[in-house]
Amino acid sequence: MRQILLAVSMALLASGAAGIANAATDADVEKSFFPYKDGAPTAEGVTPGTVINKGNVDQFKAVLDEGMFKVIKNGWYEIKVAKTTSFDQDKFYIDATKKNLGGTKLGPKTGDIEGFVAGRPFPEEPSESDPRAGEKLAWNFKYGQNWGDNALISPFYWKYRDLESGKVEKTLKFNFGFLNFKHRVQHAPVPEVTPNPANLFRGIYVSVLEPQDLKNTQLLIQRYEDDQKLDDAYLYLGFQRRVRRLATEQKTDSFLGSDLMIEDFEGYNGRVADMKWSYKGTKNIMLPFYNHNEMKLSSDFKEGDGYKYVDFHGQGGCFPDVTWQLRKVFVLEATPVGSSPIGKRVFHMDAQANSINRTLIYDRKGELWKSWTIGKSHPDSHLPINKGTGISIDDSFSMVDMQAKHCTTGQFKGQVDPKKVSPAMFQVQYMRGGN
Amino acid sequence: MKNSKPLRGSLKLNWALIGATLLALGSSLAWGEGLPEGGDAVIDDGSITDVFLENDTHVRGRDASGNNVGLSKFRNTLQVEADRRLGNGWDFHGTFRGTYDGVYDLNKSEFGKSAGGSINLESTLAPGVYLSTPQGAGLVTHTLVSGLPYPGAAGNAFVDSYPNNPNEGLRVLGDNWHSIDHGVAFGVPVRPCNTDSRGCKDFGGYGNKSQSELASPEFNDRLDFIREAYVKKTFDLPDNKQLFVKVGRQQVVWGRTDLFRVLDVINPVDYSRNNIYDELQDIRIPMFIAQSEYRMGGGDWLQERNVQVVWNFDKFRPNNLGQCGTANVILDAGCLFRGLSNLWDNGGTVANFANVAPGTFLSTNFGPHQIGLNNVELPEWSLKNTQLGGKFEGVTKGGVNFSLNALTYRSQLPSLHGGKSTVNGFTGQYSASNPYLISFDMVYPRVNLIGGSLDFQWDAAKSAVRMEAAYTSGEEFANTNKAELYSKNNVFRSVIGIDRPTFIPFISNTRTVLFSGQLFWQHIFDHEYTQQSLGYSGMPDWKDNFVGTLLIKAFLHNDRISPQVIFAHDFNAQSWVAAPQVEWIVSNKFKVAVGANVKWGNQLSNYKVDDCRSCNPWAPFTAPAGEDPALAMQSFSRGLSGLEPLGRFRAGPIGTAFGENELYINAKYKF
Repeated sequence: MRQILLAVSMALLASGAAGIANAATDADVEKSFFPYKDGAPTAEGVTPGTVINKGNVDQFKAVLDEGMFKVIKNGWYEIKVAKTTSFDQDKFYIDATKKNLGGTKLGPKTGDIEGFVAGRPFPEEPSESDPRAGEKLAWNFKYGQNWGDNALISPFYWKYRDLESGKVEKTLKFNFGFLNFKHRVQHAPVPEVTPNPANLFRGIYVSVLEPQDLKNTQLLIQRYEDDQKLDDAYLYLGFQRRVRRLATEQKTDSFLGSDLMIEDFEGYNGRVADMKWSYKGTKNIMLPFYNHNEMKLSSDFKEGDGYKYVDFHGQGGCFPDVTWQLRKVFVLEATPVGSSPIGKRVFHMDAQANSINRTLIYDRKGELWKSWTIGKSHPDSHLPINKGTGISIDDSFSMVDMQAKHCTTGQFKGQVDPKKVSPAMFQVQYMRGGN
Repeated sequence: MKNSKPLRGSLKLNWALIGATLLALGSSLAWGEGLPEGGDAVIDDGSITDVFLENDTHVRGRDASGNNVGLSKFRNTLQVEADRRLGNGWDFHGTFRGTYDGVYDLNKSEFGKSAGGSINLESTLAPGVYLSTPQGAGLVTHTLVSGLPYPGAAGNAFVDSYPNNPNEGLRVLGDNWHSIDHGVAFGVPVRPCNTDSRGCKDFGGYGNKSQSELASPEFNDRLDFIREAYVKKTFDLPDNKQLFVKVGRQQVVWGRTDLFRVLDVINPVDYSRNNIYDELQDIRIPMFIAQSEYRMGGGDWLQERNVQVVWNFDKFRPNNLGQCGTANVILDAGCLFRGLSNLWDNGGTVANFANVAPGTFLSTNFGPHQIGLNNVELPEWSLKNTQLGGKFEGVTKGGVNFSLNALTYRSQLPSLHGGKSTVNGFTGQYSASNPYLISFDMVYPRVNLIGGSLDFQWDAAKSAVRMEAAYTSGEEFANTNKAELYSKNNVFRSVIGIDRPTFIPFISNTRTVLFSGQLFWQHIFDHEYTQQSLGYSGMPDWKDNFVGTLLIKAFLHNDRISPQVIFAHDFNAQSWVAAPQVEWIVSNKFKVAVGANVKWGNQLSNYKVDDCRSCNPWAPFTAPAGEDPALAMQSFSRGLSGLEPLGRFRAGPIGTAFGENELYINAKYKF
């Protein structure tokens, strides 16, 4: 009986904690958006210019996630350490966070949120004593500023590679578009694109330009504001010339034969309600945050404006040739609620950007399956259009299938240019207007 | 004897149309201000030209006649796809295709200038007693009829020989999928029309082609090597609305189904390329079409509202059903047409025809211009012969995607109108009307369609569901209860499809296998099937027919290897096809597919329908033996049945291809 009473008391406490709007302060906001204001994190031996490689990786184990440690230990990649720098976020987003501070609370179930208007919903430091801290970080990510109000990656090159031989098996050329229907903070219309009777939160539109066998393939993902509602996803197959609605399970299938699934996009592309979230602590570890224009860039693809892409090297050419920084991260574990080929995801979320830049994906047997890296460039060291936006630019990615010894790499030309992305692009009918 | 016929439903799933009505939702709440109104203009793809070469080689086994067919396709295709920015927001897309199919040179004895040969036809002398005689040596001849005791018998129009229709270069109608089976049969010329012009007529882009035209079908007077050539532009309107315009030779795709078509009927289809087994993209016949979409965005009730108007202003073209003597003659219809056309032009022997005594059916030497197919009425270009459609497409708040469609168009399948003017075989007299006589003209009637479609996600079943339905008026079907041997019937067609990705552990724990099932239903209103003294008369098409399809497709090694199998089952025809295939994407530039398609089902007797031998068009001479004298002067069908010529409409595209099991390899290289 005593145990039952204790359990009931704990449950009541937990539910009470969730039901109360968080008590974040302006100081929390400052700490959340400017974690390095009082100095960058340090670790023994981690200094600019250091190269972490197979020979010395053991001494840097504490500043590497498990997957990256294994990658370096295998001799597949070396990390070049650069100075930790602040990736200041969009001023409008920070202002919105302050304006709406304390107004957001979790609802009774995972995927329920109440009172959210705009900005970072839970800017307070996560606490391991808060059983729903992980869920709050998930919301921070969902309502984050990964691509701002709307942006375009055009073009976006993916290469499918054999990790062992380095053979590039396939090269795809995409356009990706992103648009927030709601909770917009800077670019008109603020705060919402209307009319929006379905109450969509966000759209992602993808079109394939090359190669020929996939040309004209298009993908549209519509995510609802109501997180309990399933995303709608549509695929236009060029050879069929019609739009097919995707069933839920297809979002965890290999996307066009790559090592990514739709659910991997942007670090995590799913609902909060799709996972059971667990905050696993805060660490200082290496993340691929860098200044694009200072990197050794590739001459792979020619752009009319002279833009050059991040290069890839290491085993199989699977890893970005960029510098890494020691950064504060939140470790977040997500276990799928429904059927999935994934056992769990371990996210390493940058504390400043609240973006997911390193993910370890485990299979259902609990073995490390994929190592997922998204490199971020400071917007001021990128295309002129991105300067001053405060949007940390997704600039390179590497998805390594550790079991199949295969990888997919991505080279971005991200453009935070709202004028290039229209709401019409996120309609199903738009997909039918092509060839 | 027999028939009329509109090629109907065989493609049991070929679907018609009508109507015209569009919904236009009124509300016009605007997208928020400040966002760009266009989407197209922002992505600068530049100009792109893709060139690829494909070889498609098929080998066929034995057909129903025991003939080992061998090579059935050696098709080499060069295709160029070009996209160009024209400026001012206009884009151009062109697809140009040239084909050479070497099968006509490499397998001349099956599909080339030495195809076919001499044939034997059959008489039933008494139940169980059959006599086989060559084409031209029918038992009922001019000489025989001249001796009959009726006034004017000497003036009969039957013949004793066929100097213009020799017994060479022929096959027996339908012999690739069934034996004569003591029913109606006649010879069909099978050589290319430059070698043998018998029965060659333009049935609508096929039927009169020379070998070079068959080998390279794109190079014709309709300039089919231009697969697509259109310009398009999106005009931005206030409130983030858009007007999308696309004009030129193009494909317009409606609907949500695979393999068979319910709403996707704007472009006709070239079944001669690979029956029903090629991607529709490659076999739709592009037409000169102007289409416009008014994209209104969201409203009070719908997340999306789009109105489309499609005007097909091209000169009419029907489906290409394949010329007799080529490898892909869907429903074997092209052979029926060529055989009937030859009977009209030159006359010919028809097996088991004259019912001179109970249980006795003698092969008969018809003369020219008595039975068969005379005129083909292809609609000329005129404004009233153009085709117009409209569609409203919307997405509800809950994410249900739907369309409402209406189209008025010309049937893409022909209808045969019987009872036409001919010479009476027994009297030699010309008559402008011969009710129930198998003397035909081919027409393409106007059809009106209204329909709709929708799809939604069914989470409980982890599936995506799609549905389509269409109601047509104006379609014509063979009907031996009618004096002209056809009737107009309204038709309802529908399909429900479910896509369910499923983990199959022994295939992959990390990648689903796609199961995609569809069930088609066709219902013919006012269907007629009437018990008569010798069997059933009426419509060979099933009143209700169901076809199921199932695709199982797996993806291995980063989707570079994809095994799949497609099953299709025609429930009424009791026929099956299985089409296994493995595709290997070797590189960005090269892919190979190896596969087969195998048909089975053993219910040929199920396909027997009224053949109109007992229609008595030339009363009293053609009255069935033993007919009640009171009825001997009346023309109507007594229901005598056989596999030919109308059994094909029961057998459908699978049942008529029982003798066409194939192995194939397809290789495609992009330069």
